[in-house]
Amino acid sequence: MKVDICECVEEMRLSFIRPISCCAVSSPATSLKPQTPLFLRPPTFKTTISDLKKWHLWAKSLASSVGSTFLELDNGPDSDLLLRELNWLVEDAVETPKLFLQQPHKDYHDNSSVSIRASLEDLYMLWKQRVEERRPFQYVVGCEHWRDLVLSVQEGVLIPRPETELIVDLVDDAIKENEELREGLWADLGTGSGALAIGIARILGTSGRVVATDLSPVATAVASYNVQRYDLEEKVYVKQGSWFEPLRDDEGEFVGLVSNPPYIPSKDIDGLQAEVGRHEPRLALDGGASGVNDLIHLCDGAVSLLKPGGFFAFETNGDEQSKSLVHYIETKKQGSFSKVKMVPDFAGIQRFITGFRGR
Amino acid sequence: MAIEQELVEHIDMIKLAREENDPELESESVKALLGIRRNVKEKELEALLSGEHDYCSCFIEVQAGAGGTESMDWASMVMQMYKLWAQRKGYGVSVVDEMPGEIAGIKRATIKVDGENAFGYAKSEVGVHRLVRISPFDSAKRRHTSFVAVAVIPILGDGSTRVQINESDLRIERFRSGGAGGQSVNTTESAVRITHIPTGITASCQNERSQHSNKASAMAVLQSRLDQLEMARQAQMNAQHTQSLTEISWGNQIRTYVLHPYRMVKDLRTNYEVSDPDSVLEGDLDDFILSFLSTSLDKDEE
Repeated sequence: MKVDICECVEEMRLSFIRPISCCAVSSPATSLKPQTPLFLRPPTFKTTISDLKKWHLWAKSLASSVGSTFLELDNGPDSDLLLRELNWLVEDAVETPKLFLQQPHKDYHDNSSVSIRASLEDLYMLWKQRVEERRPFQYVVGCEHWRDLVLSVQEGVLIPRPETELIVDLVDDAIKENEELREGLWADLGTGSGALAIGIARILGTSGRVVATDLSPVATAVASYNVQRYDLEEKVYVKQGSWFEPLRDDEGEFVGLVSNPPYIPSKDIDGLQAEVGRHEPRLALDGGASGVNDLIHLCDGAVSLLKPGGFFAFETNGDEQSKSLVHYIETKKQGSFSKVKMVPDFAGIQRFITGFRGR
Repeated sequence: MAIEQELVEHIDMIKLAREENDPELESESVKALLGIRRNVKEKELEALLSGEHDYCSCFIEVQAGAGGTESMDWASMVMQMYKLWAQRKGYGVSVVDEMPGEIAGIKRATIKVDGENAFGYAKSEVGVHRLVRISPFDSAKRRHTSFVAVAVIPILGDGSTRVQINESDLRIERFRSGGAGGQSVNTTESAVRITHIPTGITASCQNERSQHSNKASAMAVLQSRLDQLEMARQAQMNAQHTQSLTEISWGNQIRTYVLHPYRMVKDLRTNYEVSDPDSVLEGDLDDFILSFLSTSLDKDEE
């Protein structure tokens, strides 16, 4: 989760002194103990095959009733996608999902017992939330499959997007060009679930390190949990604070900087797909009037953060925004960076800007 | 011979059990005999699986023929038949790619079948499968004939030489990605399509939970398709390769499934037939496969 720098710069100065900013976190974090994703919970609940089949049948018909209404309304999920998600919910919730899913449809009277990781009532509730409240599937199961990782996510933390996976590939390319980057210090600012920090840590060498910062205590708790799950405590340091603030002592020491900051223009927030607009943290999405407030701040800060030859990659809202940022760097930061360019995502949108700190 | 000796021993044992009036011993020995029969059958089948790539895992691809919903429904029945067959054999089965029909069934689908000899068995299924039945989609309850084409592609093991793919020859696209993407969109849909530009061959995957995994799966399919193309090129002399979907002509019928006016499944290559289509559609295919493999072995020996 990130904060809009321009809107509350004064409050934020105060927040650097206090451990938790009062302006930045919209709702007080009730518990900083991160939730365990469904698939990691013990299968302590029992039900019968027949009752589980009944739930499955109900869930399927609820998904089918959606048709393409959400798709037409706000580009939300259609029935096909919801049915696929339902399979994944079964995968995460049932101890022996394959046995259950592959059984022929005959056994509606099967009273043998099956172990599940949430009560049957909860499964009814969770699927209702998914379809009727448009709660993101990733919050429903408490995890997001991202690259080859399974990351814990929960309300208050942005769900990492498929597009963002490519930043790790861009870092990998940069490292292959210049092996010195493999053993250096990297920063992931506004880390959210810790996705980029973990993805990058796994391609660094033995002495390579990543510092991941986020202003939100929920995000830092979840990121720390994910770092632990992948045994990366030695390589990834999670720090709470705004953007560059937690890194002040090591300025000029970094060989790399990545970020997926909030970049959606404020006026567009209300029209977002329900899963995003109603459920994901606004502070991780809203990039100010034109969406580039935080990206500009990152470009400015990168100058003093990065060593000569250091690499940066930022995600943007795409095309126009990427162009305007490249223009900003070329005119306002003249001479500070080299090889600045836009990189498209798999949908052909110029999604990223990358470059190197001048030598 | 070990098997012969075992056979004689068990038969003697049954005789003895009868003389001694020992039903327990008798049933044990009968069980052992049945075990031997199964064992021999399996050994015979293994002898039939001696092709170079027979030991490999494979992809099975199914494509609906002309005829709209009726043949798309047939395509999904055929795919289900292979899934159940593979499960019976203890193979791992996963759906890689699936294009659903508008009303029912599938237009096209690819599954991965993981396990020893999967390709050796499944290659017997390459060709066109024909269904005759009263269509559930025809309100006039008329009889319909529909067709489905099946292709089987081996997934070459590490020991085989595989086609080198240049990263720069690939075009990777995300599909079904509506709108702005990035933070504005939250979707679990992360399907990718990879095109090998020099050959125009494409592969896609949408059933994995991350884009990274979808890309990896699609790459595996693409690699196998390119390997198959190369094998076909090399094997043109002895015509031993299996055909890809695009090569299979709709005239190349291998099996007919009749649900109405009578009930029968008949293999047109071996003339093997059964009168219980349901069991076949539930994956009981081994007898068809076995008879095809022995017929082709006999042909090779001629």
